[in-house]
Amino acid sequence: MLRTIESRRRWGTWALTGGLAPLALLWLAPLYLMAVFATLPDYAIFSPDLPLTPGGNLLENWTFLDDTANFGRAMLNSIGIAAVSTVLSLLLTSMAGYAFARFAFVGKQAAFSLLVASLTVPYAVLIVPQYVLVARDLDLSSTWIAVIVPPLCYSIGVLFMRQTFLSLPQELLDAARIDGAREGRIFFSIALPLVRPSLAALAIILFLASWNNYLWPLLVATQPGARTAPVALGSLIGLNVVPWGALMVGATLLTLPMIVVFIFLQRYFVAGITAGAVK
Amino acid sequence: MGTATRAGIQAPRTGGASASAQSDARGGWRRRRHALAPYWFLLPYFLVFAVFWCWPIIDSALLSLQNTRVNPWAWNLGINWRRLWVDRAFHAALGNTLIIMAIQVPVMLTLATALAVALNSPLLKLRPIYRFAFFAPVVVSDAAYSVVFRVLFNGQFGAVNHAFTALGLPTIDWLQDPNAMLSTVMVAMTWRWTGYNAIILLAGLQSIPRDLYEAAAIDGATPADRFFRITLPLLKPILVFCLVLSVIGTTQLFTEPWLITDRGGPGGGAETLGTYLYKQGFVSMNFGYAAAIAYTIAGMAAVLAALNLMLTRGKQA
Amino acid sequence: MSALGRIAGILSGMAGAAVLTLTAPAMAQSDLKGEITVWSWNVAATALKAVVPDFNKAYPNVKVTVEDLGNQPVYDRGLAGCSAGGINMPDVYSVENHESSVFWARFPDCFLDLKSLDPKEADLLAKFPQFKLTELTVGDKIYAMPWDSGPAVVFYRRDMFEAAGVDPAKIATWDDFIAAGKAVQAKAGPDVKFVSNNTDSISTTWFRILANQAGCAYFDEAGENVTVNQPGCVQALETVKKISDAGLFLNAGWDGSLQAIKANRLAASVYGAWYEGSIRGNAPELSGKWGVFQLPAFAAGGNRAANIGGSSLAIPSSSKNRQAALAFINFALGRPDSQITQLKASGLVPTLPEAIHDPYIQQPQPYWGGQKIWEVVLNTLSQIKPARGTQYFAEADSIADGILVAYMKGNGKSAKETLDEAAEQISAATGLPVAD
Repeated sequence: MLRTIESRRRWGTWALTGGLAPLALLWLAPLYLMAVFATLPDYAIFSPDLPLTPGGNLLENWTFLDDTANFGRAMLNSIGIAAVSTVLSLLLTSMAGYAFARFAFVGKQAAFSLLVASLTVPYAVLIVPQYVLVARDLDLSSTWIAVIVPPLCYSIGVLFMRQTFLSLPQELLDAARIDGAREGRIFFSIALPLVRPSLAALAIILFLASWNNYLWPLLVATQPGARTAPVALGSLIGLNVVPWGALMVGATLLTLPMIVVFIFLQRYFVAGITAGAVK
Repeated sequence: MGTATRAGIQAPRTGGASASAQSDARGGWRRRRHALAPYWFLLPYFLVFAVFWCWPIIDSALLSLQNTRVNPWAWNLGINWRRLWVDRAFHAALGNTLIIMAIQVPVMLTLATALAVALNSPLLKLRPIYRFAFFAPVVVSDAAYSVVFRVLFNGQFGAVNHAFTALGLPTIDWLQDPNAMLSTVMVAMTWRWTGYNAIILLAGLQSIPRDLYEAAAIDGATPADRFFRITLPLLKPILVFCLVLSVIGTTQLFTEPWLITDRGGPGGGAETLGTYLYKQGFVSMNFGYAAAIAYTIAGMAAVLAALNLMLTRGKQA
Repeated sequence: MSALGRIAGILSGMAGAAVLTLTAPAMAQSDLKGEITVWSWNVAATALKAVVPDFNKAYPNVKVTVEDLGNQPVYDRGLAGCSAGGINMPDVYSVENHESSVFWARFPDCFLDLKSLDPKEADLLAKFPQFKLTELTVGDKIYAMPWDSGPAVVFYRRDMFEAAGVDPAKIATWDDFIAAGKAVQAKAGPDVKFVSNNTDSISTTWFRILANQAGCAYFDEAGENVTVNQPGCVQALETVKKISDAGLFLNAGWDGSLQAIKANRLAASVYGAWYEGSIRGNAPELSGKWGVFQLPAFAAGGNRAANIGGSSLAIPSSSKNRQAALAFINFALGRPDSQITQLKASGLVPTLPEAIHDPYIQQPQPYWGGQKIWEVVLNTLSQIKPARGTQYFAEADSIADGILVAYMKGNGKSAKETLDEAAEQISAATGLPVAD
């Protein structure tokens, strides 16, 4: 009887692992194609036979990209901005999420409603008034503050961290309060470490949001040499003519840091969740 | 996300209320410091919000009450809001958006749930590879993958039509036929966002204790039973979280239709509220009307989100 | 051209040069100093950069930085900058003609009236053809200087036409064009299409070219009435439908059309003359096999000219170096040889009529079978009819697009009914009345 269960399990493993494979290949196909396109000359990308193997134009495409759009420098800018934004935004959103989750206070419902409401407003309608505010009224155009600070308000992050903090055991926090610990200390030394997996997941999402942010850095990161990577990539697109090969190189490169961040943080947020789930 | 999944995400009255009442009794100064603490925690976020977001929201809302196509801009409370009722292009965009919401969101969440269950299964090997494969689309740049999709779905020589022909199916003009354009957009959206939702759902799944399943297995429950009676109910709060986010995201949908069908496509076959808003605001520079569209989107999203939340609150024990 | 004509041409060219000297800014040339930034997008930026060395010979103390921002970013940043009252704007701003009206209407103070910068500027501007100036003029202010234009011509494959026995010189009307198309397709086989319908994000390109040819547009020249259902437009739309019904269209956009050209699956293309560089760059191996001819007329002897596309240069009011900026645009756009430099650098079609006398225009072009294509193109400039886009252009185009797509697919309505519907919807969207 054991052998039947054993073999059923093995059959199940093979079926699941194998069955998922075509789907995963289908999912990865566009990414593979993107990398292949990066190595092709422009006209080959739209050819009737789908090019499946890499060509020899990678260096040429990269040279065009870097010469025209100073892409190397733009990548560094993006990495710097995204790193700083992620850390700061993690701080802001986790603190706000903690407040909503663990405290009762006057105005809580109103503040929370405001938060959720702000999520529903499409960003496109806010960006020009925001730019006018920052550039004309606050006189902050082309500064690092203008580039980094406004996007820190990522309301999904607050909701996510609130959700996470709701699961913390009250006894742990109360014990620290009885010991006389200040709220700030409780937050940083006890609460935050407990939710490390969620912080890792949120870090990925925040990094992604900052990394792919296009319109705002276009308008405010205007100093020479301060351009971010998506904006640099967008500058390649002319009226009708688009250098697709160079664009693909840029897009593939744009993907790499995200993949690095994901691989690095992946082990935290998946492995750790089961460990951290306390009843 | 842990055991918070069972607490749900509705009213913010869960968590530490009762316990903090106990510690409040312990002394005036500590009580005051404790009472002020939440405000300190909220301060950084809401300070940035107050400085950089409050006025733009108010300003754009006020713009919706002005006629911004004359010089100087003139107050005209109804001009933009009235136009929404008679604007055929707006109705078409609204229709497309609702179609996408009705079809794509359920399909994607079903797929994401199935994927999450598969990724969670102890039977699965090569888990990190699969996790990466399905999450990778989220990190790819919009401009890049939309070109790839345009090549794949090209009416004349795209790979998708090649495959269709090989299977004996008629070819479809994915990018130019008004009826097919929405489908192309939906396929692209599903490709991109299923993994994202699957990872979130996976986190939820991993917080469901294994002993529940073991107990059920001993009682003779079939895998289907286990899924529908244990997994799904416990997953519901996170599923609702994903649903609400997806609905809100779909009301604002811009990137996929804009980039894949090139600005909504010939004939506006893939025009969504998001692309129409962009055109009114950024191309025609009719800021007042764009604002009216935007706050209609916001209102719709809020109503739909509230509906979704109410649907789950009712079922909470 | 007759000897008399040639002499007249030279004389007018000299007179033009004389006028140009007289219209140079009163300030001595080497006095001008400062730094100016110019915003533009890829091939256009390349063209301007090509002019900078010559400019600096005349104005050694003016430093010019041409920034290649991409087409959409220039527009977006201009929008944001003007909204903020003129912050972070360059000294010279590139703007496409059909997108310019919305800037002048929405932000009348964001850009300078060029005529106010120098008393002689008006004379220089008057040398440009009316069809370029219409959209840059609001009342008595001219907000930008015409740069390049898009006179529409037919690009065709000589060998494919020859094989079918079609002589392009005999194609005088659109009916002739359709007949030629059928002949070429019959001979070339089922894989080859006669002409692309150039449908990218919008399907109205063909309609706009032919409507302009007929002297009709979405709005009248004053920009006060909706005219898209006038007889000229109706005729244009009917013609496009005839071409489509004859099975001559390749349903493709920019990249798809170039791909088809390279794969020998497209026999011709009707587009602005700036398309020349794209054809040549995309398929250099087809050198010698292409040629151009003027648009067929609706009726024998009719108008054979139309315009699609084209840009201009404006000077934002916030510029700190107005005179230097003006000097630059006068130099780059107001002189025939600068326009020829840009033509050679990026294929930008000159708009100054006197440019036709430049030796380069008179040169046979090897890619085009030794034809003097630029002469053919520039000869159409004077017959192009003006059209005012107005600030509502994008919206009208979008509305027309939807309605036209349905018509072209065959919904049983006539062209007149279709355009009446378009006129009604455009009128509702803009508040402008439909012309009778």
